[in-house]
Amino acid sequence: MTQMVPNSTNEIMAKKDTSTGPWRDAWRSFSKNKVALVGAGIVLFFILLAIFGPFLAPQGINEQAIKDHRLLPPSSQFWFGTDDLGRDIFSRVIHGARISLGVGFFSVVGSVVVGSILGIVAGYYGKWIDTIISRIFDIMLAFPSILLAIAVVSVLGPSLRNALIAIAIINIPNFGRLIRSKVLSIKEEEYITSAKAIGMKDLRILFSHILPNSLAPVIVAGTLAIASAIIEAAALGFLGLGAQAPAPEWGKMLADARVVLRNAPWTMVFPGIAIMLTVLGFNLMGDGLRDALDPRMKN
Amino acid sequence: MGKKRIWSFLLLMLVALSVVLAACNSSESGTEKENEGTKDNGSTSTGDKVLVFGRGGDSTSLDPSTVTEGESFKVTKNIYETLLNFGEQDTTIHEGLATKWEPSEDGLTYTFTLREGVKFHDGTDFNAEAVVKNFERWANGSEDKFPYYKSMFGGFKGEEGHVIESVTAEGDYTVVFKLTRAQAPFLKNIAMSPFAIASPTAFEKDGEKFGDNPVGTGPFKFVEWKRNDSITIEKFDGYWDEALPKLDKVIFRSIPDNSARLNDLLNGAIDLADGINPADGTTVEGDSSLQLFERPSMNVGYLGLTTTRPPFDNVKVRQALNYAIDKEAIVEAFFEGRAEIAKNPLPSSISGFNDDITGYEYNPEKAKELLAEAGFADGFEMELWAMPVPRPYMPDGKKVAEAIQKNLEDIGVKAEIVSYEWATYLDKASKGEADAFLLGWTGDNGDADNFIYVLLDGDNIGSNNYTYYDNKDLHKILIEAQTEVDEDKRNELYKQAQEIIFEDAPWVPLAHSTPLLAGKADIVDFYPHPTGSDLLSQVDFK
Repeated sequence: MTQMVPNSTNEIMAKKDTSTGPWRDAWRSFSKNKVALVGAGIVLFFILLAIFGPFLAPQGINEQAIKDHRLLPPSSQFWFGTDDLGRDIFSRVIHGARISLGVGFFSVVGSVVVGSILGIVAGYYGKWIDTIISRIFDIMLAFPSILLAIAVVSVLGPSLRNALIAIAIINIPNFGRLIRSKVLSIKEEEYITSAKAIGMKDLRILFSHILPNSLAPVIVAGTLAIASAIIEAAALGFLGLGAQAPAPEWGKMLADARVVLRNAPWTMVFPGIAIMLTVLGFNLMGDGLRDALDPRMKN
Repeated sequence: MGKKRIWSFLLLMLVALSVVLAACNSSESGTEKENEGTKDNGSTSTGDKVLVFGRGGDSTSLDPSTVTEGESFKVTKNIYETLLNFGEQDTTIHEGLATKWEPSEDGLTYTFTLREGVKFHDGTDFNAEAVVKNFERWANGSEDKFPYYKSMFGGFKGEEGHVIESVTAEGDYTVVFKLTRAQAPFLKNIAMSPFAIASPTAFEKDGEKFGDNPVGTGPFKFVEWKRNDSITIEKFDGYWDEALPKLDKVIFRSIPDNSARLNDLLNGAIDLADGINPADGTTVEGDSSLQLFERPSMNVGYLGLTTTRPPFDNVKVRQALNYAIDKEAIVEAFFEGRAEIAKNPLPSSISGFNDDITGYEYNPEKAKELLAEAGFADGFEMELWAMPVPRPYMPDGKKVAEAIQKNLEDIGVKAEIVSYEWATYLDKASKGEADAFLLGWTGDNGDADNFIYVLLDGDNIGSNNYTYYDNKDLHKILIEAQTEVDEDKRNELYKQAQEIIFEDAPWVPLAHSTPLLAGKADIVDFYPHPTGSDLLSQVDFK
C-alpha cells in the first residue's frame, strides 16, 4: 500500500510530462507499441553492428582459405560456416551490415533531400513549376523501381556507390509527392497566411514553417524506405550490379551462394536472414512511427 | 453514416467478388489450354521418342561453315554429315560420307571414295558434284562469311596461304583434293563440323538465309527454330543407315543458367542437360533417376595477359602472375577436382603435349621478387576480367576471378574484377582492351594445331589470339609443324613451341576440365564427344 502512492504520483508526473508536446506524445504512443519496440531493437542492433562490426568480427572480409576450410558447415569455430572461398560467413555478414545499412540510410537521405526540395518548390509555387516537377515524378513512377535502378546502374557502371545513387534516384518521386501534398495543405493554413501578411520571405516561410510541419510523414516514409532500399541494394548486388567482389554485401553473398546452394545451404541462409531481419526491423519500426506520428491514426 | 458504411462495404465486396470471378475464369481457361498442350505431347510421346536436350545458349546459325562456336555445332552435327567422322569418344578418323580415303605419297593429293545411295533432306542426290560445290562455295568466300575455313585451310582462293589448290569430281563417287602444301591435320580438319556437306540445291536457292533453313544428309532434319528458346529436329526417314536414328525427335532448348537447367532436369522438363556445375555432380550421382556423363576432356581454361598492355608487356610481370596464382586451390574449389591442373596450353590427351615442362608452381615469394625485378616492387593496379557465363572449361568465372584477385592482393597487385555481357566481353577482349581476362577453348579436331596455332600465333591476333602475343620464332615452328607429315617430328616441334610459350608466359594456364552432363537414367548409348558436339543418332530410351 505504501508503495502505491509514489507509483501513482509517478504516473501523474509522467502524464504531465508527456502532455507538453506532440513529439513526447508520439514517443509515448510509440513506446507503448511492443511490436514497434522490437523493430527498433532490431534496427539498433544492426546499427551497432554496422558501427562496431569490424571490431567484433573474428576475421576480415576476404581471408580466403580454399584448401583448408572450404564450405564448412556452421561450427564453434565458424558460427555461420564458410563459403566456397573458405571465408568465414559470420565475419562477412557482420561486415555486410555496414554496407547494407549505409546504402539504405544514405540513399534515403539523398532522396529525401532532393525529393523535399523538389516537392516543396512544386507544392508552394504551383503553376507550371508544379506541372513540370509532378510530371517528371509521374514518369519516374511509371517504371518498376528495380528496372529503373538497373537502367541507372548500367549507365553509371556497376559499383556500390552507383547502386546507392540509383536507389536514391528511384526514391525521389515518392518523397517529392509526399512533401508536395503536405505543402499543399499546409500553405493554406492561417499561420502561413499571417506569416505572408507580415512580409516574411518565401525562403523563411518554406524552411522554418512549412518544412518542419511536413516532416512527420517523411520520417515514417523514410524509415520504411530504408527497408526497401536495403532490399533494392541486395537485389542489385545479387544481379552483379551493386557491390563488387570481394565486398561482403548480403545480396552479393546470396548470388555467390547460388552455385553451391544444394550442398551448402548455410552460405545462403545467413545473409538471407540478415537481410530479412533488418528489413523486418525497419518495417516494424516504421509502422510504429506511423501510428505514433500520424494524427489520424490516434483513437 | 451507418448506411453509407454498409453501402461502401457492399460495393467493396462486389469489387472483390468480381476480381475473384475474373481470376477464376482466366485460370480455368489457362488450365484448359495447358491440358490441351499436354494431351498433344502425350499422344505423340506414346509412339514417338522425343529427347529434350537442355543447353546453355542458342545457336548462332545452322549453317556450320559460317560460325566457330560450339552451340551451333551441337545442332548441326545432327543435321549434316562430314566426309570423315571422329571416333565415338575421341578424334581418330573414321568413315563418314566418304568410305575410303587415300593420301598420295607426298601428302599433296587426297582421293575420297564417297558413300552411294545417300540423299539430302530435300531429295537432292549426294555425289561428288555436291562435295565440289560445297568446297567451291567456301573457297570463293571471305573471312566474314567462312571464318573457320580461313583458320583451318589458310585462306581463300587466290590467297597465298590457301592450302586447297583444287577439288575435282572424278566420276559420280570419287573426289580428288589437291593441296598446295602438305597439311598434317588435313583429314582431321575435313572431319570438323564446320566442313559438313550441305545440299547444293538448298544453299544455291537460299543464299544468305541458308543458315535458317539447313539441309544436310544427317540422321535428323530441321523442323523449327524459335530464337533463344529452342531448335527442333526430327528423324529423317530417308537416312542411308535405315537402323538410325533411334529417336524420333530432338528438341534443343537454351536454358542459360546452370542451376535452372539442372532444376528443369530434376522436374522432368528436359531429358538431358549439359553444363552441370561441378558442385552438383555429386547431387546427380546420388539421384537414382539420373545419370552423370563425363565428357572426355579436350579443353583449356586460362587467364590471358594482354601482352601489348603495360605492365604485361614485361615478361617478368607475366611470369610473376604465373607464380602468384594458386591453380591447385582453384581446381579443387571450382572444378571440384574434376579437372587437371594446366601447365601447357595443350591438354595432356593431345599428341605433342610436352610433359617435361614443370609449369609454374605456386610461389608468392618468387612472384614478388620477379615483380621487384620488373620495377613493380610496390605492385600495380589492373583490371581482371571475369567471364559472365559458365563455360565447359570454366564453370564459374567470377568465383575463379575472386580467388585470383586474392592471390594477386597477396603479391601487392590490386585487381578490380570487371565483367561484361558475353558477346561484348569477347568483342572487347579480342580488341585487346583487357589487362587480364579469363577465357578458354575447347578443341574442335583434337590436333595440337587447333590449340597452339589458333590461340597463340600472331596470324590469329584479332580472331582467337586475344593476348596479342606474337613471337616470330614460335610462328616459324608452328607453320613448319603444319606441313610436317612425320608424326614424331611434328610432335617434337610442338614440344619446342610449348617451351617458348612457357618462357614467354602469355597466359596463366589454369585447368583442363572434365565437363559434366546429366540425363535421365533411361537414356542409353549416349557418349559425350570431347569436341563438345554430340551425334545423337545412336541415342535411345530404355
